[in-house]
Amino acid sequence: MLKGLHVDGHASLSTSVDVQFNTFIGAVATGCELPGISGVSIHGYGAYIPIFRIKASEIARVWGLSDSELPVLEKAVNSLDEDTVTIAAEAAGYALARAGIDPGRIGAVYVGSESHPYAVKPTGTIVADVLGVNSRLLSADLEFACKAGTEAMQLVTGLVASRMIDYGLAIGADTAQGRPRDALEYTAAAGGVAVVIGRSGDGAIADFEFASSYVSDTPDFWRRSHERYPMHGSRFTGAPAYFHHIISAVKMVQDEGYSLGDFDYFVFHQPNTKFPYAVAKMLGVPAKKVESGVVCNVIGNTYAASSMMGLAKVLDQAKPGERILMASYGSGAGSDVFVFRVKEGVLEKRGLAPLVSELIERRKYIDYSLYLKARGKIRE
Amino acid sequence: MHSIFRPPINWRHRRFRYRLVVWRCLNCGAVHHNATKICRRCRSNRLAEDQLPSRARLLTYTVVKNPPVAFERQAPYIVGVVEFEDGTRLLTGITDCEPEELKPGMELERVVRRLTEDGESGLIVYGYRFRPVLKKR
Repeated sequence: MLKGLHVDGHASLSTSVDVQFNTFIGAVATGCELPGISGVSIHGYGAYIPIFRIKASEIARVWGLSDSELPVLEKAVNSLDEDTVTIAAEAAGYALARAGIDPGRIGAVYVGSESHPYAVKPTGTIVADVLGVNSRLLSADLEFACKAGTEAMQLVTGLVASRMIDYGLAIGADTAQGRPRDALEYTAAAGGVAVVIGRSGDGAIADFEFASSYVSDTPDFWRRSHERYPMHGSRFTGAPAYFHHIISAVKMVQDEGYSLGDFDYFVFHQPNTKFPYAVAKMLGVPAKKVESGVVCNVIGNTYAASSMMGLAKVLDQAKPGERILMASYGSGAGSDVFVFRVKEGVLEKRGLAPLVSELIERRKYIDYSLYLKARGKIRE
Repeated sequence: MHSIFRPPINWRHRRFRYRLVVWRCLNCGAVHHNATKICRRCRSNRLAEDQLPSRARLLTYTVVKNPPVAFERQAPYIVGVVEFEDGTRLLTGITDCEPEELKPGMELERVVRRLTEDGESGLIVYGYRFRPVLKKR
């Protein structure tokens, strides 16, 4: 439940605001650094992947294109009765099951997505009502392309660290759009991941050790209002966009005193199978430390859930004491970076909800015609 | 317009559609999905809010190939009757499976799905459906 933030009086509030404003201005001049996070943990996580899959070779067949060097093997497709609300609710239900807390203790529900069902009417309030979360709640829908989910994690960690809430839900979920015959059609997939974040303590799955973000105005991918499909800058989505932002975000971790050898797992945003391994190679990270979190080859790019899906898969197998670096990427552009230390709670909690590998195994293949029906692309 | 697309009705029934929150008669045990002060079976005024479990057993099912208005795009789809531990029965959509995968007596679990929508500009209606259990206990 949301707690009030008490301020002693108007004078002290003004002073506080002035100090914060001056600090902010100074920080901009010298390069803005978000503070490290302490005393905040992941208490539950949950993933959801729709049951339908379409093979990339089936899409290539329809358009008469070569099926060699496709960006993924297959991708997850939502059915007609699924959208970002239902996917987010299902993932959040699993996260709450692992956290083992009453939904009434949740003080914030933030949902990051680029496929919110309504342009105006929040996804978060529907998800909260489905879960039975108390109405004394902070809730908002977030949008930052594929890093909207990790943006939700940044906000909830801040609220928990400041003690405004005890627990919060950060959700990344998408039913991503790809224009027929566009390169994105092979990868734009559906899925969702939620994490319950609270104060560190008994039962924690992973502690936050550090979190920060790197953003810039980089026009690599966009969708204008009222448009059904996004546009992108093709090869421009690589070097100046994905690679520059993730490498810059990881450098912020190194500036904090970590070396890349301190990490057992690296989770990067995965728009295709190639990019996470390519950025690892540029950073000098061994491929075996990346492969545990790669799911894109078999479910596609789940956009706002993409890097969080990799994190969920790593938490499904990580041992207490191991350290994880996660760097998301959102076009437009930015990268959120997190450092986690896995805790004992993961051992007893991971079996309380479906593992990512179980969700990947639960699948039914559909052909292109059923794919068009499931995605609502058949119109009268 | 289908009544479920009217905002007050959509809003009033949401807790039943999302979480199967019901009103149970403490006198005769009858279950009502609308908030009510008088039991429609025994006329008792002793009612309490309750929530049906998230799992139930499949009793029977059929495949709808000629759907009613507002469900045309989803045909063919499965509709079935499930029974909870307390004997309460519920008519529900069944999702994520083919008819040949269903057997009477099998355990199903509740999920919330996008049931229908009022065109491209009206309200979207979310509510319960059941599917084969994803993770067995």
